[in-house]
Amino acid sequence: MNRIIEHIENSCKNLADNQETFRYKKMILDKMTERADQIAGAGLKDEKVISDMLADEFRDLEAGYEKHKKLRRRKKLLKVGLPVGSLVFLILLLVAFFAVSSATGAWNKSWLIIVGGVFALVIMWLSIAIAKLCTMRRVFHPIARVLIAGCALMFAVFMFLCFLMLMPELLVWPILPAGVIIALLADLAFAFVTKQKLRTISLFVYMPIVSTMLYIIFSAYNIVTWSAGWPIIFIGLAIDVAYIIYIIMSNMKYFTYKQEVEE
Amino acid sequence: MKRRLEAELWDKMHYLFRDFNDRMVHVELNYDFVPDIEALKTVIICAFEKVPVLHSRFVDNKLWTHWEIMPYTIDDVFTVSYPDDVKTAVDEFLTQYIAPTESIQMKIALFIKDGKSTLCMIENHMCMDGGDLKYFLQEFCENYSKYVSDGISPVNFRTGSRSYDDVYSGFSKTEAGVARRLFKNINARDDHRFPLTADNIRDRSFIARKQFSAETLDKLKTKGKELGATINELLLASYFYSVYELAGYPESDTVMISNAIDLRRHMESVDNKGFTNHTSWMQCAIPERGKDIFETVKYVIASSNKFKKDKFMGLYGLPLLNFGYNFLPHGVSEEIIKIGYSNPLMAMSNIGILNGQHFALCGNEPADAFMSGAVKYKPFVLLTATTYKKVITLSMCVRGNDEDRQVVSKFFDLMEKNINTIIK
Repeated sequence: MNRIIEHIENSCKNLADNQETFRYKKMILDKMTERADQIAGAGLKDEKVISDMLADEFRDLEAGYEKHKKLRRRKKLLKVGLPVGSLVFLILLLVAFFAVSSATGAWNKSWLIIVGGVFALVIMWLSIAIAKLCTMRRVFHPIARVLIAGCALMFAVFMFLCFLMLMPELLVWPILPAGVIIALLADLAFAFVTKQKLRTISLFVYMPIVSTMLYIIFSAYNIVTWSAGWPIIFIGLAIDVAYIIYIIMSNMKYFTYKQEVEE
Repeated sequence: MKRRLEAELWDKMHYLFRDFNDRMVHVELNYDFVPDIEALKTVIICAFEKVPVLHSRFVDNKLWTHWEIMPYTIDDVFTVSYPDDVKTAVDEFLTQYIAPTESIQMKIALFIKDGKSTLCMIENHMCMDGGDLKYFLQEFCENYSKYVSDGISPVNFRTGSRSYDDVYSGFSKTEAGVARRLFKNINARDDHRFPLTADNIRDRSFIARKQFSAETLDKLKTKGKELGATINELLLASYFYSVYELAGYPESDTVMISNAIDLRRHMESVDNKGFTNHTSWMQCAIPERGKDIFETVKYVIASSNKFKKDKFMGLYGLPLLNFGYNFLPHGVSEEIIKIGYSNPLMAMSNIGILNGQHFALCGNEPADAFMSGAVKYKPFVLLTATTYKKVITLSMCVRGNDEDRQVVSKFFDLMEKNINTIIK
């Protein structure tokens, strides 16, 4: 035990002597003691060897302290800052709702403030969950993708409700295919940024769907006619083909590579 | 909380080989002294702690296979005994099997008799191949010596990535790009079999060995220079010729023997890499037996030269395996890979020279050292060659019966005859 404590003290001698450092040292000591018990449990009797092994495993404690501080700060924010912040936000939202509604008398429309605020809050909480999932094993990433799609759809639903208040009912429904486009593009961006497996396949599948949705939206708003606008659908396929060509071109140098043969 | 390790590509591949062999790699080191048992225990625990895959169990849940690090005690790993018949005890120890679902993947035994000792190890091939086991043993012995002689804690074991794609580290960016796109499956099938009996439930594992004197090795070297062949090619040619004679294949038949190649040749360095597998097959085929062994040697040289000229030797099909294991659940990918993979019926693995200094414990080099590959299930066979103090040891690990023992023994006699013909 003394050797372990000595190692911690020596490794952390440049750190300021305060409560935060003490907490960090205590955490490391607990971890090292647990590992020491594991190793001793396997049958290792030489205490010097155990402490040397632990010193080897728990190297660079000062750099670890910086990470520890950041992590603690983040945890504190998640544990206290977020719930309190959310509560304050909800109170402000209610105040804003009543203030705007009483001032304008537009009670039939001002409820959008509440819906938008709650949606924004939910999206923020989901974003934190998505960020956390991204740091986890890849097997959890599909959950993050579902949540991203959920966020995109919530945004689309809010837009739909806003437009419903502002436009004739018949012109509002194309917002829903737009929501599908946003969800697919958000998922695609996530797949490419985090280098997900089969991201190329996702692109090939999503692009024709996106272009079909665009055709529906453009036709619904009379930007193109239903009968003449159908070639828009092929834009998706064209993007797919262009991407295939890009892949082939960027891989060409590998497929045409000729080995220098030494006889 | 459970600690887990990623199951790497080669871990999964060797797990797939469960239908073909018992996946155990065997080591036997004979010393003329008795090492310090407590010190050995200390070094073993340190080795296990630094290489956690050795005390892990393989979890195959069909979806995400992985290693789960397990608690263990030194008594699970290491045994010391004082048998009257060391040879039988060693054979019994070496032919045991460690299931991948067990908590430990390596077992070590020390057999002591008359002031001499035999250190034996068996290890799951899924954790590391013969090449890395040699490094592991070297570090094991170095750590032991420094610990006993100078009191230095035995914690210097290599750790790091076990990923298959470290194999591309020695290539330039373009070459690595090319190698990563070698999707071609070059697995060729050959139905010529080593003439063992049919499978039987009463079959037991055995290790047959044959040693060739230092004089033989010197003569092989001289003859090799004359013929433009390596020792490996001469051994392989003898293998071919002997198997034609043993199995009675028509002389005009094309026969194929796969030769294990160490993919570390492509790597920049193995420092900071974890212990793992980096071995592939080079399929050596000869068009016919040849009128004599010298013609067989020519065919073998021609066949292996084709591979040697290829910068990417042994790397074909790896991206395909990676693709299969990466994009599909393990249960599905394994079934698909089984369709495309054909395990060689006859193979050879030349582990190479075992350096006595590397296996010295406090300056005591082993009097004899031996390593061999897994026990193959019939009809598959693997001939392993190791060289220690200029003595070549050929071994064949088979799960078979007495008749199979005789067949293998006859094969070794033929090998001896043909090697003698070469060096005459």
